[in-house]
Amino acid sequence: MNAPIHSSESTVLIVGAGLAGYHVARQARQHGHTGPISIIGDENRPAYDRPALSKAFLNGTVNFEDLHLDDPSNPLEVTWHSGSGAVELSTEPLGVRTADGTFHAGDNVVIVTGAEAQRLPSFGRSGGAFVLRNVEDGLALRERMIEGQRIAVVGGGFLGLEAVSTFLDRGAAEITVIADEQFPGEARLGAAVGQAIRHLHEQRGVKFGPPVYAHSVTDTEDGSQVLNLTNGDAVQADVIVCAIGATPATRWLRDGELTLGPSGAILCDDFGFTGIPGVWAAGDCAQWTSQAAGIRPIGQWQEAVEQARIVAAAIMGAPPVPFQEPYFWSEQYDVMIQGAGRIAQSNEVHILDGSIEGGDLLVSYRLDGEEIGILGMNRMREIKRWRKMRTARVLASA
Amino acid sequence: MSLKVCHLSELTPGEGLRIESVSPPIAVFLTEEGTVHAIDDTCTHQDASLAAGWVEDCKVECPLHESSFCLLTGEVDQPPAKQKVRVHTVEVRGDDVLVELSQEAPNLPPGVSVS
Ligand SMILES: Cc1cc2nc3c(=O)[nH]c(=O)nc-3n(C[C@H](O)[C@H](O)[C@H](O)COP(=O)(O)OP(=O)(O)OC[C@H]3O[C@@H](n4cnc5c(N)ncnc54)[C@H](O)[C@@H]3O)c2cc1C
Ligand code: FES
Repeated sequence: MNAPIHSSESTVLIVGAGLAGYHVARQARQHGHTGPISIIGDENRPAYDRPALSKAFLNGTVNFEDLHLDDPSNPLEVTWHSGSGAVELSTEPLGVRTADGTFHAGDNVVIVTGAEAQRLPSFGRSGGAFVLRNVEDGLALRERMIEGQRIAVVGGGFLGLEAVSTFLDRGAAEITVIADEQFPGEARLGAAVGQAIRHLHEQRGVKFGPPVYAHSVTDTEDGSQVLNLTNGDAVQADVIVCAIGATPATRWLRDGELTLGPSGAILCDDFGFTGIPGVWAAGDCAQWTSQAAGIRPIGQWQEAVEQARIVAAAIMGAPPVPFQEPYFWSEQYDVMIQGAGRIAQSNEVHILDGSIEGGDLLVSYRLDGEEIGILGMNRMREIKRWRKMRTARVLASA
Repeated sequence: MSLKVCHLSELTPGEGLRIESVSPPIAVFLTEEGTVHAIDDTCTHQDASLAAGWVEDCKVECPLHESSFCLLTGEVDQPPAKQKVRVHTVEVRGDDVLVELSQEAPNLPPGVSVS
């Protein structure tokens, strides 16, 4: 790691007003940083947390104010610059230029610009499919009439399936999921979990198409849309939601000095250091060494928060913060799915308890016989205990 | 007025028990040190049952995210939750756990209301 500027009076410039950005600032203050902290965000809104956008926000259970990251009764001491995104990184002097022409200088620059929803090519006037990444996307879908409508959701990931759950609440007439796997999440989480997730939805009348890719969206004369599939089939729907993943929001860095990986992610070491003195990256826009090696996941809430903590400690010259076991959750209907540990590296999956039909699976992931991960459906107590015990063990052996 | 909510023998050290006979539900904890505490069961961030959380150092960490609540004061230590939970007064009489509910308004998460 290159020696950064550790002074507690230095200027920290955070580029991206999302989850990681908020936590870098918060942690820097917790470490006693007294110098100026600025957070630049391209959205013209207070910084907010995203997970509810595919869940409680979509069916109106929670509102935008409920998603705010900063606590109004105890706000962070930072300067927010909202509404104009960074368009250029400068290393000499260190800082970024925003779209409105302003140059923001920093002794340390932390890039936390997140990711952008991937879209399907669309032909026609309807504007294509809905996506879910930011609050405008969430608002558009929340305001779209769903009752009595035919909905097609592209992508069998958690984001799409969470949205499906809210569409059923809102009285959708028909919901079809188009995914490249027969059982959603099967390759990543094992056959039993994929089957259990599919069962959750089928039980409630959701249909699953054959495992194919969708390649485009076109309009029809009656105002509905058509989702075109790679097997030559087409699905007609009134509303199409595309949840096929996200790509790092790093287009503005493409011609610069930072090293970007094939996905466009900013490549960093496991402290978030980019290789350019004073420049760091974390969250969904970055790929740290252990993520590139497949040891840690990308695009999860917990990962962004932990990376933010690690970067803040590194910038402040505080003792390194250890990683916890990776963790994610997803809410579908009344089922909370939680996974922890190094699930991707396992080579055996064992059902510990529960059943595919019961929506109450508890599954153990093992690597050569050793348990390295766990997943539960409505198993909150078991999953928390596993995470806490593992953290204690990881720390004890550190 | 104190309510009898459960038996001491129903509690497991280091774990919480959700009591649904009161609204909003409360969580009763027996710590490893042998003390008994009662707080509101619903996390103030989202609808998660704190009774299923991790109890350590007289705090309970929410089973869903990262916030911990002090069993003595109800204060929250870190995001994503912002507001404290209510603390209820506990009295153990023999095997009976009696609770006097706080008169404060509960800080329920958005989308959750008292039934
Ligand atoms: C709908 C949805 C639901 C999710 N649900 C879950 C879940 O249930 N469980 C889970 O584990 N994870 C979930 N996630 C993932 C989690 O929210 C992300 O991993 C997390 O938000 C990443 O944080 P971040 O700070 O890297 O990016 P973000 O939170 O996306 O913040 C990045 C910010 O930077 C801004 N920005 C982009 N470019 C620029 C620029 N050039 N200049 C200035 N600002 C810029 C963006 O507009 C954004 O505000 C979900 C994500 C989404 C979108
Ligand atoms: S639900 Fe408790 S911290 Fe999020």
